Amino acid sequence: MSIQLKHLTRIYNRETTFPVVAVDDVDLNIEQGEFVAVMGPSGSGKTTLLNMVGGIDRPDNGQVVIDRTDMTALTDKELIAFRRDNIGFIFQDFSLLPVLTAKENVEFVMQLQGRSQSDCETRARELLQEVGLGDQLNIVPGKLSGGQQQRIAVARALAPKPKFILADEPTANLDAQTTRDLLDIMQRLNEKEGVTFIFSTHDPRVIERARRVIVFEDGQVREDRTT
Amino acid sequence: MTLAWRNVWRNKLRSGIMIAAMIFGLLGALLMVGFVQAMTENMVDNAIRYQTAHLQIHNHKFLLNEELSAWIPEAENLAASIRQQSGVEAVTARQVVDGMLASAASSRGVRINGIRPQDEIRVTDLQQSLVAGKMLTETGRNPILVSRRNADKLNLRLGSKVVLTFTNIDGDVTGAAFRIVGLFKTPASAFDDSNIFVRRSDLARFSGLDQAHEIAIRIADDQQLTELQEKITTLVEEQGVVQNWGEVQPVLAAMTGSMDIANAIVAGVFIAALGFGIINIMMMSVFERTREFGVLMAIGMTHARVLLLIIMESVLLGAVGGLLGLAAGRLMLAITDQFGLPFGAVAEGLGAYGVDAVLYPSVKGSFYLLMFGMVLFTSLVAALYPARQILKKRPSEALAERH
Repeated sequence: MSIQLKHLTRIYNRETTFPVVAVDDVDLNIEQGEFVAVMGPSGSGKTTLLNMVGGIDRPDNGQVVIDRTDMTALTDKELIAFRRDNIGFIFQDFSLLPVLTAKENVEFVMQLQGRSQSDCETRARELLQEVGLGDQLNIVPGKLSGGQQQRIAVARALAPKPKFILADEPTANLDAQTTRDLLDIMQRLNEKEGVTFIFSTHDPRVIERARRVIVFEDGQVREDRTT
Repeated sequence: MTLAWRNVWRNKLRSGIMIAAMIFGLLGALLMVGFVQAMTENMVDNAIRYQTAHLQIHNHKFLLNEELSAWIPEAENLAASIRQQSGVEAVTARQVVDGMLASAASSRGVRINGIRPQDEIRVTDLQQSLVAGKMLTETGRNPILVSRRNADKLNLRLGSKVVLTFTNIDGDVTGAAFRIVGLFKTPASAFDDSNIFVRRSDLARFSGLDQAHEIAIRIADDQQLTELQEKITTLVEEQGVVQNWGEVQPVLAAMTGSMDIANAIVAGVFIAALGFGIINIMMMSVFERTREFGVLMAIGMTHARVLLLIIMESVLLGAVGGLLGLAAGRLMLAITDQFGLPFGAVAEGLGAYGVDAVLYPSVKGSFYLLMFGMVLFTSLVAALYPARQILKKRPSEALAERH
């Protein structure tokens, strides 16, 4: 699996007097199994970049090619299906469905894929076990700590067996110990399962664990280093 | 479905308030419709039972001018033929004269109904409406039934003598003394004010005419009214005009029709209010979860499924409120059906329209279904606007919302 960004550009308020170039002609390649941190100050365009990589926003120019699929050429319907089957998302505020239990949250994405209930249930149990929440299956997110909720989010992101996972500042709301635990889990999954992780972050604790750091500023790649 | 159902109860207070509003709204609408329906049915029922019967036959000249000379030719033979028709329960032929009812105290203009008591009691509930005395019989000298209202106004009581004056068949004013043997009271005060009953044989003796001006027909099944009217019209030919109760009392028929419109307006206003309420709730519920919908779209929920989720939340809310509201309405109507709805001080006013002092509001089963269907449909429609607003957004835009 490879992700190729070709001349990727996103401009907000294009039609106005003050257009904002959030991502400016970016070219990048990310390979299978990478553990990448995209860092940069607030407003640098990190989230916009990840949104386009994740197919939840469309570029004004350029292409996002995953393996041989040009995401920018897909219709809305095809894009939704592509996201569902190939991309996992982890959000800063966890973004779990509060009315569903931990297990149901994980099962939900697989149900969207049309998988059988027993299949969904088995995998949800395995994944929650994997992230250390095997005994919290039937608890709703509101009754769990921030760290536990983010672990559910990790399990949910992994559930559809995606090609890569996009994590937008996943540790921003977590304390140091919880962040370490979560990063341990993600790093283990990356090494064991070969899942590609792409983080948007300015958390040094994430950056020090990343094997590749892309520094983003004013919508452009300022630095791309492998550690 | 599970997700939609749980989302409905995310904000229990808000959903509870909306459901309570629906319960009270439906309760009010059902009671109002039940009341109007009961009043209409009661008016029609009373008019048929005490006044017009289901069908009446008159000479067409009588309909233009109620003259003594405008009798129905061979009315007795015609009545006998009509009695043979299947679906006809009873028939009576009356002689009708306008005249004056006078006591020592005062006098009033009345319609003098000359009846055959044994026929009349099968067609109308005159006998049941007696509040004092007894029904006319074929024995005794010049008995008369007057209403309780007229008796009070003319200072009369059972056994009192009254004088009837009217124009006979020769055009001469004639009169005779009658003795009150019974006082009646029907639900229609206007009818009571203007009608008295004597034996047809007595009236014929004084009017000089042994003929009938009105044939009243009671049928077994209201549903057969039109069919029997057509059948009897064929039978009557040129002898007279056959009218149903609505044609005899066009004002009552018009009121019945307008009450259907009133019911539709009540239901429409309720549904409109409900619709705006649900739109408001759904807008709040959906827009405060804009980011959540962004997440759902990001992880692969299609637009159709998002739309379905929002619609299901709205319809489930409507279904719960609708079912509870209709159940509350049904319960309330069961109570009023058992104990009635007394009108106390306004009963006298309603009496002018032939309405009983106690009503038993009821609503047809089909109306419950109609209301429930309309509640569900309104809930569905109410979900469309907020859903459209959400679906217009890209997932990234929805995720950027911080509600």
